[in-house]
Amino acid sequence: MHDHSSTSGRFRRATTLIRSLVTYHPGLFAISMAGAMVFAVCTVGSSWLLRWIIDEVIIRRFDTNTFSISQTLTAVGLLIGLSLIRACGVIVRRSFAGRAQWRTAQSLTDEVVDVLVKQPPQWHRRQSTGELLTRAGVDVEASVAVMAPLPYASSVILMMAIAAVGLISTDTALGLAATAVFPALIGLNVLYQRRVDKWFDIAQGELGLLSAAVHESFEGVTVVKAFGAENRETERLAIIASRVQNARVEAIRLRSLFEAALDFVPNVTNICLVVGGAFRVRSGDLSVGELASFIYMFTLLVFPLRLIGYALSEMPRSQAGFDRIQSLRRSPIFDDPRSLFTHGSSSLVLDSVSIGYDDTNILFRNVSISFSARSFTAIVGYTGSGKSTFVESLAGITPIFSGSVSTKDQLTSFVFQEPFLFGTSVRDNVCLGSNFSDEEVEWALRIAEADFVQGLPQGFDTIIGERGVGLSGGQRQRIALARAVIRRPSVLILDDTTSALDPNTEVKVLRNIKSGLPGSTVIAVASRPSLIGMADQIMFFDQGSIYGPTTHVELLIQNVSYRSLMQAYEEPQEFEDDSL
Amino acid sequence: MTTPRVAGTLETLSRGVHAVPSLRQGIGFTLLLAMIGASGRVVVPVVIQQAIDHGLQRSIRGSAQTVDVALVVKMCLGAAIYLVIASIAQRTAVSRLGQRSESALFDLRVKLFQHIHQLSLEDHNDEQRGSLVARVTSDVETLSQFFSWGGLAFLLNGALMIIVAGVMLVYDWSLALLVILISAPLVYVLRRVQARLIAAYDGSRLANADLLGNTAELVTGAETLHAYSAGAIFGVRVKKSSKIRGDKQTKATLIGALLFPSGEIFGAIAVSAVVFVGLWRGSSSGLTAGALVGFIFLTYRFLEPIAELTEVLDQTQTAVSGMRRILGILSIPAGPPPAEFPIEIGDQPLDIKMNNVTFFYRPRDGEVRDENSAVLSRINCVIQFGTQVAVVGETGSGKTTLGRLLSRFSDPTSGMISIGGVPLNRIDNEALREMLVVVPQEPFLFSDTIAANLRFVLPQASDQILIDAFTNVDLQDWFETLPLGLDMLVGQRGSQLSAGERQLVALVRASLINPSILILDEATSSVDASTEVRLTRALDKLSRGRTTISIAHRLSTAARADRVLVLDSGLLVQDGSHDELVGAPGVYSEMYKSWESSHNTSD
Repeated sequence: MHDHSSTSGRFRRATTLIRSLVTYHPGLFAISMAGAMVFAVCTVGSSWLLRWIIDEVIIRRFDTNTFSISQTLTAVGLLIGLSLIRACGVIVRRSFAGRAQWRTAQSLTDEVVDVLVKQPPQWHRRQSTGELLTRAGVDVEASVAVMAPLPYASSVILMMAIAAVGLISTDTALGLAATAVFPALIGLNVLYQRRVDKWFDIAQGELGLLSAAVHESFEGVTVVKAFGAENRETERLAIIASRVQNARVEAIRLRSLFEAALDFVPNVTNICLVVGGAFRVRSGDLSVGELASFIYMFTLLVFPLRLIGYALSEMPRSQAGFDRIQSLRRSPIFDDPRSLFTHGSSSLVLDSVSIGYDDTNILFRNVSISFSARSFTAIVGYTGSGKSTFVESLAGITPIFSGSVSTKDQLTSFVFQEPFLFGTSVRDNVCLGSNFSDEEVEWALRIAEADFVQGLPQGFDTIIGERGVGLSGGQRQRIALARAVIRRPSVLILDDTTSALDPNTEVKVLRNIKSGLPGSTVIAVASRPSLIGMADQIMFFDQGSIYGPTTHVELLIQNVSYRSLMQAYEEPQEFEDDSL
Repeated sequence: MTTPRVAGTLETLSRGVHAVPSLRQGIGFTLLLAMIGASGRVVVPVVIQQAIDHGLQRSIRGSAQTVDVALVVKMCLGAAIYLVIASIAQRTAVSRLGQRSESALFDLRVKLFQHIHQLSLEDHNDEQRGSLVARVTSDVETLSQFFSWGGLAFLLNGALMIIVAGVMLVYDWSLALLVILISAPLVYVLRRVQARLIAAYDGSRLANADLLGNTAELVTGAETLHAYSAGAIFGVRVKKSSKIRGDKQTKATLIGALLFPSGEIFGAIAVSAVVFVGLWRGSSSGLTAGALVGFIFLTYRFLEPIAELTEVLDQTQTAVSGMRRILGILSIPAGPPPAEFPIEIGDQPLDIKMNNVTFFYRPRDGEVRDENSAVLSRINCVIQFGTQVAVVGETGSGKTTLGRLLSRFSDPTSGMISIGGVPLNRIDNEALREMLVVVPQEPFLFSDTIAANLRFVLPQASDQILIDAFTNVDLQDWFETLPLGLDMLVGQRGSQLSAGERQLVALVRASLINPSILILDEATSSVDASTEVRLTRALDKLSRGRTTISIAHRLSTAARADRVLVLDSGLLVQDGSHDELVGAPGVYSEMYKSWESSHNTSD
């Protein structure tokens, strides 16, 4: 009883899934279904045609021993004509099913993309990259995978219905017996797909692990060699490879069993039909042609039945993929922190701002600071003192907990510590889709001291990244800087952006920014003395407190912690104090 | 110069079987079973024909029917028994093929792991890593796919077609030839359609990769896109690539939609021809109604597997090229071979001696070695045990190569390096790795805990030994700052640690071995101030009582060393202490001058 209700529940979920998928492009799907119906009718028709040819043409020809050219040509013409119509049905069914499937995939992808674009960084940070990529890739493909075999499956059901009626009306007993085998075969197929797929999925998962482990092992080959661990590594990888092998062998073992059973059942049914048929023919209830057509009909339906099993076994995966996409779509869109910023006359003002994620996790309380235009502030502190979170809050990348932030306009540019570059041209990376002239791009690259771009094969049209030219960390940082300055922002925030540059270049870049963007407020997280030396004022972050903004000398005198940090900088770098 | 010859399909297959002999094991018996299995599928049409001809004969006027039910039952019983046997044979054949091929492919994988780990570092550069990984994963997968689908189809369908063709020829050879003649062009048509289908699928695969790449950027670059309000623009780009993917897939399904009907139409033509010729000939040629009906069924059976078999031909091509790539990797000579007759180092002091050491890169296929392109030329030098040596030189001077030769990651092209009087290539590899440890430039950490990374070199080490190792190199204060201590996960390539911290772990790792000789390939990237202090301290501690050879990028390291070796274009041009060299005219004093000026410009 319980089993039955869960089956009907599953059925309801499946119909809901199909209905939601079909509503994206109902026209395309309908055309495909029409093709499928033509195919079904022609398939059943061809089995009737064959019966007619055997009974009325072939047997009569051999019984009477007269060759009728017109009857023969009719038979041949009907055979070829019917198969042409059937072929057209197949072409329409398959091509439109494919079209409906991939157009639906496109619509689903668009929906996922809309969510990805709308959600602000604080949402993105809570998601795993891999999961989100799975939504847009694997899940979309899995959702629509069920659409391709659907028209076919429907046509098979129609065929079975017609065939069942045909078989039963020709011979009730034999017909009922033959029809009873269909559901059994479908059940066997579904069971087969589910059981075997489980092992193929396991093998696929293990293969992914193997691939990751192999990549890591080859990547670390220097260490492997340095410690003579070649054999140990081979053994370790062999263990994972053997898990792939075991899952595959298990799948193959099951498959060989089911394949044999799926061949055996219809063949034995056919033989039984011959025996049963012999009795019916003797009693005069059945003609020989009818018997042959029975058997042909059966053969015709066996292969389609297999695909029904395939389509049905795809259902749970499609369902899961579609559900995950829907829950992504339904997740509430977070507020963009910038939309809560107010606008005033000063370039950047914090009014009793608290920064943190929730009540129990507040990094800074009630911070009120006004950054004036043209000021250059360096933010200094030990690792983990909250410098990045602070500057991200100023740029509206991380939401503030309470208080208010006011800016003069929307023009804040933020440069991340580890800049993200897109796999497109340098120009595209600097402009990020906005329109800037060549001169502006050149100017921005010049400010960022990114003169190396001129040496690239196609100048700033060179494609960078995986499929183009590889860049060093310092080069990437400079392109990210150009991206920020080209917008001539009123506030420019650098999160330890110049760390991969050598000290000389760093100083040049900062000077360029001062002279190239004279009206901008610059706030920079600093981990090197050279940058501290360039700043007008320093903010020192230490254990949840913010000291300053004030001058370097003032902090050196007043703050022990600051002094010891500066000493740590000095030792290896031979940092000269008098340079400040 | 001849272009490298691409091995043909058969040659590749035979070389593949040679490389993995287990592939051939028991294949004869599997084939026999497959034939028996396939013959089962012919049973039904034959029984129908026999039943109609002998059991269900009808008198001429169609009134009286003589049906021999007993005969039909006897025939069917025999057929059923045969079907059982055939099913078991088929099942066994499929399962045997699968198991044998999977275990052979496992052997092949292990062979590849071993070989690739033994390749020299030159063959392990960043550009090639992806393809090395692909050899052991996706290329072996194409073989696995081939064996479990294509090979199987060859086995079952090939056997079926041969048997069906045989039965058809026995029934009526002229009708059989007619069917074969008509089906021949189908193979050509199918091949053409399939070629276009494969091209279309390639196109859609590329479009799919594009879509995923663009989506990945949208996700990983989300913060940047938000910071510059560029999300919408990039979202539109992803949608565009999603549309292109849809277009390409639609095209592929359209071509695929033509594939099945072409088989269908050929089938109808073949059956029509059989019907026409059969009716025309009539019983005069000995043909019976039952035979003609049986023949029609056989014709359908004969045509069924053709589409699948032609598909398999392409899969075969894929598998063969996969095998070719795998054989290509196996044919790359391995790096320095392990010592065959190792000599034990006695009580001699572990001095390192380089005697006329010269090194050339192995010429690529078809290249001839240029005698002027030596990376290192005739290096002669003795390093006494316990000396702190710095090797300096411009990029390309050969200092990294010298480090690799001393670490025996490569063998010199000519000349000899010995430790304690024993040539490097005669020292047992395990003994060598316990005596000499290399800390590479970018120390690699496995995506695991700190403890696991340390135990990589000393699998049996207890937690206490690992913690002591930190203390021994003065890093206990840093160790205490690690959130989970030894259990901290370092992330992929150690990404949870800074570059400097990764070097710290690498130093602790090296110290666990307690080697007599330490080779340090210094990092070029800069390290934050506090880590730099710790690194210097740990290195000082670690180098005590050992020979340390630093491949130095910073002249501050050279300044601290007992002895500096200066390389220039592969030649050892200067050798002495920092103080001696800095005063003497030459490469070193030039380098020092430019280094000094670049480090004093802060203002």
